[in-house]
Amino acid sequence: MKKRLIVFLSLVLLLSFLTACMGSSEGLATSETGDEQETEAEKEPVEEVDPSSISSYNEAPELKELVESGKIPSVEERLPVAEDVMVEEVYEETGVYGGNITIPWKGADDEWTVGKPTEEPLFRFNEDGSRVEPNVAKGYDVNDDATEFTIYLREGMKWSDGVPFTADDVLFYWEHMLTKETFGKSVYDAYFSVDPETGERHMAEVTKVDDYTFKVTHKFSSPDFLKRVAIDNKWFFAPAHFHKTILPEFVGEEKASEIATEWGFADVKSFLKATGYYYWTNVEIPTLRAWVASNDPHSEEFVMKRNPYYWKVDKEGNQLPYVNNFIAKKIQDPSHAMLGMLGGDFNLGKFLVQDFTVLKENEQKADFRVLLWPSVNFTSAAIVLNQGVEDNNLRSLVQNIKFREALSVAVDRHEVTEIVTNGIGEPIQASVPEGLVGHQEGWKDQWAEFNPDRANQLLDEIGLTEKNSNGFRLYEDGSVVTLTITDQNQASAEFLELVKNYYENVGVKVNIKFVDPGTYSDQLYNNQLQATTAIPSVVNVALRPDVLVPLRLGQPWQGDFGLYRESNGEEGTKPEGEIAKLVENWDKLRAASTEEKAMEYANEIYKLHHKNQWLLGYAGPTPSLVVAANSLRNVPEERFFADEFREIGHGHPAQFFIKE
Amino acid sequence: MKRLPLSKKLFSKNNTDNEVGSKIPTDNTEDYYASQWSLIWKKLKKHKLARFSLAFLIIFYLGVIFADFIAPQGLQEYQSDYSNTPPMQIHFFDTEGNFHLRPFVYGIESTRHPETYRKVFVEDRDVMYPIQFFTEGKEYKLLGLIPTNIHLFGVEEPGEIFILGTDGMGRDLFSRLVIGSRVSLSIPLVGVAISLVIGLILGGISGYFGGWIDAIIQRIIELFRSFPTLPLWMALSAAIPAGIDVVMMYLYIVIIISFIEWTGLARVVRGQFMSLKNEEYVLAARIAGVSTPKIISKHLVPGIISYLVVAVTLAIPGMILAETAMSFLGLGIRSPATSWGVLLQEAQQIDNVALYPWKLIPLFFVIFSVLCFNFFGDGLRDAADPYKR
Amino acid sequence: MLKYILRRIILVIPVLILVSVIVFFIIQLPPGDYVTHFAAEMAAQGETLTQEEMDELRATLNLDRHWFVQYLFWMKDILLHFDFGHSFNYDEPVTAVIDRYMALTLIVSFITMAFTYLVAIPIGIYSAVKHYSIGDYIASTIGFLGMATPNFLLAIILMYFSYVNFGDPLLGLFSSEYENAAWSWGKVWDLAKHMVIPIIVIGTASTAGLIRIMRGQLLDEINKPNVVTARSKGLSESRILFKYPTRAALNPIVSTFGWTLSNIFTGSTITAIVLNLPIQGPVMYNALLGQDMYLAGTWLLFMAILTVLGTLISDILLAWLDPKIRTEIKGG
Repeated sequence: MKKRLIVFLSLVLLLSFLTACMGSSEGLATSETGDEQETEAEKEPVEEVDPSSISSYNEAPELKELVESGKIPSVEERLPVAEDVMVEEVYEETGVYGGNITIPWKGADDEWTVGKPTEEPLFRFNEDGSRVEPNVAKGYDVNDDATEFTIYLREGMKWSDGVPFTADDVLFYWEHMLTKETFGKSVYDAYFSVDPETGERHMAEVTKVDDYTFKVTHKFSSPDFLKRVAIDNKWFFAPAHFHKTILPEFVGEEKASEIATEWGFADVKSFLKATGYYYWTNVEIPTLRAWVASNDPHSEEFVMKRNPYYWKVDKEGNQLPYVNNFIAKKIQDPSHAMLGMLGGDFNLGKFLVQDFTVLKENEQKADFRVLLWPSVNFTSAAIVLNQGVEDNNLRSLVQNIKFREALSVAVDRHEVTEIVTNGIGEPIQASVPEGLVGHQEGWKDQWAEFNPDRANQLLDEIGLTEKNSNGFRLYEDGSVVTLTITDQNQASAEFLELVKNYYENVGVKVNIKFVDPGTYSDQLYNNQLQATTAIPSVVNVALRPDVLVPLRLGQPWQGDFGLYRESNGEEGTKPEGEIAKLVENWDKLRAASTEEKAMEYANEIYKLHHKNQWLLGYAGPTPSLVVAANSLRNVPEERFFADEFREIGHGHPAQFFIKE
Repeated sequence: MKRLPLSKKLFSKNNTDNEVGSKIPTDNTEDYYASQWSLIWKKLKKHKLARFSLAFLIIFYLGVIFADFIAPQGLQEYQSDYSNTPPMQIHFFDTEGNFHLRPFVYGIESTRHPETYRKVFVEDRDVMYPIQFFTEGKEYKLLGLIPTNIHLFGVEEPGEIFILGTDGMGRDLFSRLVIGSRVSLSIPLVGVAISLVIGLILGGISGYFGGWIDAIIQRIIELFRSFPTLPLWMALSAAIPAGIDVVMMYLYIVIIISFIEWTGLARVVRGQFMSLKNEEYVLAARIAGVSTPKIISKHLVPGIISYLVVAVTLAIPGMILAETAMSFLGLGIRSPATSWGVLLQEAQQIDNVALYPWKLIPLFFVIFSVLCFNFFGDGLRDAADPYKR
Repeated sequence: MLKYILRRIILVIPVLILVSVIVFFIIQLPPGDYVTHFAAEMAAQGETLTQEEMDELRATLNLDRHWFVQYLFWMKDILLHFDFGHSFNYDEPVTAVIDRYMALTLIVSFITMAFTYLVAIPIGIYSAVKHYSIGDYIASTIGFLGMATPNFLLAIILMYFSYVNFGDPLLGLFSSEYENAAWSWGKVWDLAKHMVIPIIVIGTASTAGLIRIMRGQLLDEINKPNVVTARSKGLSESRILFKYPTRAALNPIVSTFGWTLSNIFTGSTITAIVLNLPIQGPVMYNALLGQDMYLAGTWLLFMAILTVLGTLISDILLAWLDPKIRTEIKGG
């Protein structure tokens, strides 16, 4: 079974690769040049191109017109100085200008859907996500004990309104926005270093060296600093010249309130959040992105237009992006993403594995290709037991490792993979997938064998030997062992029905409850969930710990252990035992002086999860589907699909292009 | 309005049960003495379409009563190997062309399409499973009383028979359709009945008495119309304890819906009553001193019977489908319990429409039963029409 | 009559006050508030809010107060400044949100409503006059097809059908090239194309009801003595039809006609969601779902006003249609 699956998946990959090749060669038949280029770009890793070696720049035709009519400066003046221009690798071939990328989104409150693919962080993750590489920043130096980071910016780089981007913009963001908490976020954990002796946190200092250099100084070693900034605080800069015109600190409370009202906001706080945090959907705010907002995000189509000052070029000197507009078209129901993709309303979209068959069968008719991007999820069918559940009886049960093992082996994973993942997932335990940090040998097979006898035996060992007339096990006080699984959407209905059958088969009564997302979130934050199906997903616990370590509220398996930490022990429950060890290891990790040491502690955290299996999984992770129209080229065949890597943004949409 | 007390005073001594003008003489002398309902029944029998519809409705309800017996599978059964099986072909001729009096199905084998991963089923022509009647299957209680394991039809193990295909979990769609009719053909009627009673009473009072009573009732209706139901359901969904029986829950919800939905009916009844109560025959009855409840039940209600019949038949599909709109709040019926609404809910995902169109079959049953209700209603209406010969 | 209308309008005020309180109470009834919904929305996109952030947001939006206090603030602003508050979700004044969707909502509603009435009433009359004819059966069956199919399902089937046969599922109201373009014949044609499925879905959903009611009523009236008398006097069939029975048969339709006023402004919500129509219904639906208090509250209040006005219009129409009711209203 397993082998067959792997063979199948590789077949799918191979096939989609082949169709992609066929697609591009078909395209080539019409254009007569560029045949050799294509094959070159396909196989060989592109060597670093020295930006200053590029002799001349090219730009989009409509920008050329604007230059000719004198509305904007020439491309040489718009780009950074020659040696600081960023040369972006293209995935398949050098593109041509024109066309649009159109994606579905849910509307103006779906900011991240347009935010992630257009994001330009200071440093971005490389292809396999193992390290960061320069992006907005040109490079960095770091001292030996990882306390002083000198970061170099690109000289001559400009905001989308033509105003130069300098270290002052970084300093401004730091001094007047982030540390003043103007946009509703407190200073990110990445900016703190931890005293290995006392555990005290110290905020970094940011200083300007010159116009294109700044320095971040930590009191203690902070080896993961750049990676964490790339996740926590993607943009470590803001257009000072714009924010000076709206921040109360500069214009006064009264004037700020006036401006907020003018923009249609009820209060200054909401206004500053929308402009300081979710800034990229505002037309008025200059950004560094390849496309900038050009109309009201509440429109049916939110159009982001080419940024004439974008600072990346391909190796032939063509200023990116190739595509004219990045358009987000509003949908009200998830089915529209599918219908629109089929009908050609969208040329780029992300889908769940459940849609695989429909998409794949329509590849030819709808003229798109389905790309499988591996996910970083632990599993694709999770049951998450709340370790801090309020009910005393249930809490001692779910904290018992035997109980978790019993629930794990009580379920036939083959059936789950067949029904829930359409046969695509593997019948394995929730674990770190291969190729990611924290992958442990043998983890995926832990308690994965279907064995109801073993489950019954374990439950008996715990002491749940008494049963009522319906065959449900009883606690000592005579009440029925009942688990309520709450979920916020019906998509998991079949999975939960299976789980209910299997659990009840070994005498654990299950109630299933579906509620609306608001109620779900309310119950989550008030520790009222007993169990749910939230799928754990994390790239590296050292960079984003929340899912695996109880540091703050919001993870269903952690009960209110996270709140304890978040509120400095004032609220919530103090974690004990193995869960407390997670936090201890995290603290050590934060105080580690080198990346290697930090990784050791991260590994400890993974091992604890391996050993305790707080998160149960019944089907292996399934790939995310990235669907691209065949005319949209340079979309990578395969990248890790993760929030940390900005999902489709990891494929560098600025180099996508339309091939007619 | 003001005439009534006066007339009552004048004629109170002669207060008789004389039904002025409600009976229509017909050619048949027997009919002079027949009650209104037997008259209706008599006319209904002559109405061909209504007769057919009634016959089908009776079949449907027999299906409701003997659902467990007719369905080859129970609600809890599923076979993950047979998920999304298309409807199976029933054969009379085997591969060699021999005719079999007893129809049979072939065994099926499933594979996954290597590229699209669609499940593909092929008949295994080497294995034949003759369809057997009154065969043994899962245990159930006939009529909820008699424990038995006899089912109307089935095939011998390990064969399977899915005459309408299966759903995503590999459950027999036909069984679910039959068992689902239990909920869909009963609970909606409860809801309609409640709406009807409330609407009739409040609308009737409002229209008949008028004045300030009318004003108050109309304002109450306006208030009800302004209720936002969505947050109400959301609150309810959160408040309902987990583990409650979904069918009972659905019954309660239908009752709540009908407590909100009566307003439309009440408005119409009011309008009709306002118009009818000034008809000559009603005035005459009033002057003759007939009591108010009697006037309403004997003279006014028959006058709007045709509207009521139409309104009731129209309300039924709405009630059958009501749950599909609420299941996302966790309020509708949920599998393994089933109803036609649940089956349609499952069908209405784009993936299912595209890949497994047989899941739309329940739709035809809903439409067909609604048409039957309606044409039967037509017959009733015609039969009740006092002017029609 | 004027006095009657005036009195009715005065009665409106206490009803509206009651409605506004009840509505506000019900909106906040489900667990959680806008902030929990916002947190859920952000969590779905990969951003986790901390407890502190949520509390601060609550304080900013006054959501930490008792609902009645929030109500009083809201009412105060409405009465003193005619300010209906801000939508949390849209970060805009409520009136601006409503304004944005108004034009298209009215277009969609009027077209589908006109379709419904213009198709249903004539078919209803035809079905009654030629009852039990083939045409009657066909009309009934098609009507019930639309009625017994959930709009949601019908819409998806039609969109998928459209994709399979024409390669375009006809989502929304405009194709991409016309979405942000100025009005032109091309755009009108594009709109017309995209209106076909909504009209079929919304139209068939309500025409069946109208057809059946019209037909049933008319059948009752058609054999009444006054009609028989008119016929015996030798009036032409069509004249008879429109003089007496049709007028009387409209009674049930007119009784609830006023309420369509509020439907005009909402449109068919669920259908609009499925068809991706940018109209009020889905906006309000989401406001209720997400507890966007002031947006939902304002809208429901507006709907209540329309319901009350609609009832009034219905009553006046009833009186106009039927002289017997006319005396009733004047007298009562």
